[in-house]
Amino acid sequence: MLYLLIAFVILLLLVTGTRGLSLLLGLGINVIAVIALLILIADGFNVLITTAIIAVIILVVAIYMNVENSSTANISFKTSLMITFVILLITMPLLYWASTQGMGVEDQEELEGFSLAAGVSFPQLAIATIIINSLGVISETSVAITSGLNEIVLNKPTLTSKEIYGDGFSVGNKILSTQTNTLLFNFFATTFPLFFLMNSIHFNFGDIINDKIFVTEVLTTVICTIGVILTVPITAWLVSRENQKKSAAK
Amino acid sequence: MKTRRFQVLLAILLVIVATAVTYFDAFMYKQPIMQVEQVSQISKTKSTDEYKNTDYSIVQKVQGKLLNTKDKGKKITINNTYYQSQLTDEKYKPLEQVFISKSNGSHYIIQSTKRDAVVVFAIGLVIILLFCMKFARGKLLSSVGVNLIIFYIFMQILIKSKNALLVPMTILTAVIIAAVALIIILGPSQDALMAFLSTLIATTVALSLSVLLLKLSNDSSIHFEMTEYDLQPYFGVFISQVIFSVLGVILDETMDISSSLIEMKSEVPDVKVGALFKSGIAIGRELVGPLINILLFIVIAENLNLVMLYLTNGNSVGYTLDMTLSLGVTQLLISAIGIVLTVPVTSYIASRMVARRAS
Repeated sequence: MLYLLIAFVILLLLVTGTRGLSLLLGLGINVIAVIALLILIADGFNVLITTAIIAVIILVVAIYMNVENSSTANISFKTSLMITFVILLITMPLLYWASTQGMGVEDQEELEGFSLAAGVSFPQLAIATIIINSLGVISETSVAITSGLNEIVLNKPTLTSKEIYGDGFSVGNKILSTQTNTLLFNFFATTFPLFFLMNSIHFNFGDIINDKIFVTEVLTTVICTIGVILTVPITAWLVSRENQKKSAAK
Repeated sequence: MKTRRFQVLLAILLVIVATAVTYFDAFMYKQPIMQVEQVSQISKTKSTDEYKNTDYSIVQKVQGKLLNTKDKGKKITINNTYYQSQLTDEKYKPLEQVFISKSNGSHYIIQSTKRDAVVVFAIGLVIILLFCMKFARGKLLSSVGVNLIIFYIFMQILIKSKNALLVPMTILTAVIIAAVALIIILGPSQDALMAFLSTLIATTVALSLSVLLLKLSNDSSIHFEMTEYDLQPYFGVFISQVIFSVLGVILDETMDISSSLIEMKSEVPDVKVGALFKSGIAIGRELVGPLINILLFIVIAENLNLVMLYLTNGNSVGYTLDMTLSLGVTQLLISAIGIVLTVPVTSYIASRMVARRAS
């Protein structure tokens, strides 16, 4: 693993030059933030509040350390915050209904020898899991759409907000397809061992569609996709508002 | 405008109907299903484990009626014990439907929750949202559909071959889904071919380099036996997971870089190969960080439950991370190497192919 790490750092610096250093710093801060989150939750802090605070830190680092244009960074940060909040609002009732917290029968072997009365709220942790899962996708999507739209607006400052929405969707189409691919392929990566195991313990279709882990994976993928979809209109709205303010100032 | 509003309404209606049908589909299951109607708490006992974690063991009385089998309509009462933290057990709530089974004679126990309706509803939500906005739905839905079919065939072959063909099958499947994704998004054009070649080469180089490095370091520090669900062969499962998870990100990257270079060529027709390559690298530089972030958070989120279990069971942070995340982090590093290598590989291939193009 050390060799891999060294190889990664060398290649990163070769390809991205000095930019690589700030990338590494950003990744490092994010990793530390997540480890801090884990320790705080294990120590008994409220899961949702802690996750919300760490999520904001992560978004600040992920967006402001990667984006140089300050207008793009501000808009994508606002969008990401709103989307994360919306995701939270969607996730809470869905998970309450699905009750997919904790671990499934498939994990039984891993649990041997553990005290299961851990005192941590696993239903809340399940919500935190989906939020954290979405942070990377959401921040990348909002940055991509904002910078795409900003470039268009910069070239044609006279665009009406309706035209900006239209352009938002044409920029958003490609990003939506690629992000859906990323999410879908990650779904494949996590579920193929699961499906294999389900087959060996003779699950039928009914067992699979009601299975805790399978449903968790489907919900994660679906909720992240919803986040990506909603990013497009919210970004378009923020960009057109910014544009109106600018033209009003002139 | 009117047809769009009609489409949205139709989509909402369809989703409601589909959700309702799955909610009331108990008759399709052989296993007895109970509709939970009333829940009351019988007792709550404080418990402290050997690691000084405080939790509550709660017994609840779950009352409801049978929804299927020949005893349909029969009232049932079951006592359910759960820990407040709900790691492996569950607190049941009214309106929920649960699978039950008979243990010794007439005594019922709850086995698991019926979750099919929520899956249908959540997927329906995405479809409604897509219909509310002006996205190219056809393209997106067909690409997801085709990929799911390919993945289903992959799973069937994997199961039939008892996992012996795992790695070759994964590689073949990855090549096919990459090609499908590119053809659907970019159309069957030279652009798609360019992105496809770049993806293929970058992924191959990154994986071979990483496997070589892992072999050199003797794999000793990585707990391959911790792969999910104990599926054998450990290393094959590990590599297959890397291939699937990095593929989407690398496709994203190659498409971004190559389409920017194509645009540049159309704006400045006499642009030199060297200049194209340089701007390819400059564009890629901006992409590397966010893309690694995506995979970083997915890896961490996936293992959150297990990490928490280790931490609350008195393990040190170092040991916990080593046991739970070392595998995920190794996968992440391989993916990250792939993401970085994609920048020069795509820039090289795209700059050569674009420059040669007559415009």
